[in-house]
Amino acid sequence: MTHGITDAQFFVMVSSFLGPFYLMLALTNGVAALYLWQTGQSKTWFRSPAIAGQRVAITNVLAWLALAILFVLLAGFSSSGNGHWMPALPEAWREAINQSTGPVVYSAGTTALLVLLYLFRSFFVKPAVAWSILNLMFLMLGLSMTDRDFYEIVAKPDNVPIVMLIFLLAFFTWLATHRAVENDRRMERGEPPLEKLDNEKVLVWPDLVYIELICMIALVAFLIFWAIALPAPLEEPASSVKTPNPSKAPWYFLGLQEMLVYFDPWMAGIVLPVLVVVGLMAIPYLDFNKAGNGYYTIKERRFSYLVFQFGFLEMWITLIVLGTLLRGPNWNFFGPYEHWDAHKVQALSNINLSDYFWESWLGRSLPIAAAGSGMLEKIGTILVRELPGIVMVLGYFIMLPPLMALTVFRKFYMRMGFIRYMVMANLLLFMASLPIKMILRWVLNLKYLIAIPEYFLNF
Amino acid sequence: MADKKKMSVADILALARSGKAGAEKQAPPKVASKAKGTASSQSAKKTAAKKTAAQAKGAGAKGAVAEGAATGKAKAKPSAAVSAPRDTASILAAARKSTRPGPVSKAEAASQSKLQQDSGASSQAAKAKQKLIVPPMPARPAYVTRAMDKASVGSVDRRKGVNRGKGAGKGKGGKGKSGVDDDLRTFLAIGFIALGGVLTLWTLATVRFMFPNVLREPPSKFKVGSRDGFSAGQVQTKYKAQYGIWVVNTQYHGEQQLVALKSVCTHLGCTPNWLEAEQKFKCPCHGSGYYKDGINFEGPAPRPLERYAIQIADDGQVEIDKSRTFQEEMGEWGDPACFIPV
Repeated sequence: MTHGITDAQFFVMVSSFLGPFYLMLALTNGVAALYLWQTGQSKTWFRSPAIAGQRVAITNVLAWLALAILFVLLAGFSSSGNGHWMPALPEAWREAINQSTGPVVYSAGTTALLVLLYLFRSFFVKPAVAWSILNLMFLMLGLSMTDRDFYEIVAKPDNVPIVMLIFLLAFFTWLATHRAVENDRRMERGEPPLEKLDNEKVLVWPDLVYIELICMIALVAFLIFWAIALPAPLEEPASSVKTPNPSKAPWYFLGLQEMLVYFDPWMAGIVLPVLVVVGLMAIPYLDFNKAGNGYYTIKERRFSYLVFQFGFLEMWITLIVLGTLLRGPNWNFFGPYEHWDAHKVQALSNINLSDYFWESWLGRSLPIAAAGSGMLEKIGTILVRELPGIVMVLGYFIMLPPLMALTVFRKFYMRMGFIRYMVMANLLLFMASLPIKMILRWVLNLKYLIAIPEYFLNF
Repeated sequence: MADKKKMSVADILALARSGKAGAEKQAPPKVASKAKGTASSQSAKKTAAKKTAAQAKGAGAKGAVAEGAATGKAKAKPSAAVSAPRDTASILAAARKSTRPGPVSKAEAASQSKLQQDSGASSQAAKAKQKLIVPPMPARPAYVTRAMDKASVGSVDRRKGVNRGKGAGKGKGGKGKSGVDDDLRTFLAIGFIALGGVLTLWTLATVRFMFPNVLREPPSKFKVGSRDGFSAGQVQTKYKAQYGIWVVNTQYHGEQQLVALKSVCTHLGCTPNWLEAEQKFKCPCHGSGYYKDGINFEGPAPRPLERYAIQIADDGQVEIDKSRTFQEEMGEWGDPACFIPV
């Protein structure tokens, strides 16, 4: 996209986006400050040290106003189109971020972030904190845009929806969590949840229908604007012998494509996606917790909340973001500011469990059926060869559910009964198999637990 | 009463009528009169219904028709007219709620509850009485009756015409009675013939579609020049675009061999690229990697690349046959058909 243009031309191009972008942020913060001030919601955070004998109260209105002014200044510098003047992340920072990121850091980091957000949710949902984080996210985006490699990835018409998705998801997660935290607090005091207070009904016609009509028109207008502003990225004619590098699925399937790196096609392409759909359909029948009907809550539905957030945010969204923005040629991992070099060498040698078991631990070669032996003998040899993996996988799916029923899920088992519990436990185990397989790949370079390529059976 | 679940019109009617039967059981002497009532004429029914509706004041207000009918009968004078079956309009009117249906705002709800507390049962009864007055249906005018008769006659006629038309098609009957019948028959005949023709054409076109006039694959056997053209350690990629193969001169189990590798990733079928600098095949889809000899070593690929049959043709050229593949994991790479010793 930016091929064949000089750095100066590139900066001019970016400045045409960054100027309005920062101005928009300034406007948003200014409006927020005005709104807080006009509605009398200004709060004093702290008092500044005495300046000329006066202690100035730093209120939220003042803070957002200052931020708006800062963004106006940034807009001015960014619009210059001059590489020296445009605000950007220091080269050393970008290099450090590139060096430190990888599939392991990325996945472990997002998991840790989710845990942090969950544990300290009552802090993070405070409007001031959430607003600061949102501003910080936008600021990071703006500062990173001047990096050519970053721009190349983020501004690609294919990837723009993913960037929007990150911000939208952050907003909606905040909205739901904010209400849930508020409700939990209210219920602790014995008050009804917020949603129960506002039980005034509105008419479908005209209230709801009008809102829907306006939304419809606004959405169509937005789509038209989008289609004009970012033309659909057309590529060269398809050829069965030439695969684009990198070759990416539609963005909503990039989580699946990332799964395919760790699993056999039939597993990651068929079994696990089907189980995702079946599992989602099974939720109403597995759920015995009647709380949380019609209002947001976390405390009353801790297990459901955590499982869903892990499955959705971690196993689906972050994998989409990883696949879209951070996977480059040859499906190698590239840092956000790293150049997509098609010849980047990454040591990825992977070994099957059977190789580990027979060659490394027992110090002998894999059992191989003698040439010309019968079908049964061949299959028998394969089963012996893959015995460790088969035992492990069967143990995982057969031994773990009863063990969990006796220990951590004791109460669940009592409430759900045998069949419902087993369905839930197996769905959970299948969901957990993805992160487990990822960790095994990273830590042990393990390719497959059971590897029977002769019959397309790999797990 | 109001919290009774919503009933369909049919339900309400059935309930009202069965409720009547229930009331009858409570007051057995009226069985005979009820039987008489069912047999009574239309006009008699209407007047009776009006009376019943007016009497069912106490309970009809909130919509429980059966109860309304029952109590109305139980409390009011036990006359023959009361037990006569009522017409639909009055039953429905009794069933309707006195309150406006649909969502209620806070203010409305407050005022309503206050109203209920204030006025109590008497005002409700009054409301019910107002509601239940239904104007009698006027008698059906003569021209309507005539028009209806005509319409029904006409439809019968038309159907007959269709039947006759079919009969005529089989050559059984002669011409239709009127010009309308003839027109219809011709029209139908043209229509069905046209439909049949279109369907036949469509079917033929579909059959033709199944055999497109293209040669989808290059010939499965082709020659790639003399064996000397492939130096040791070289991966010849120039046949990939046309034939989907790499011709590789490499060592396998200590033997120098010339082999034809199929350029399809064994993971999910993408086309890998040969990276000369790293001396490996690398798949762009999920990062599977293969050594020069086709053995998988990185990424998710579960098995090595496949080989095609290769041999020296009569004219001394290397000939590759894509109709046969050889898989390493099946122990087929020992087959002399899949390599040329160099």
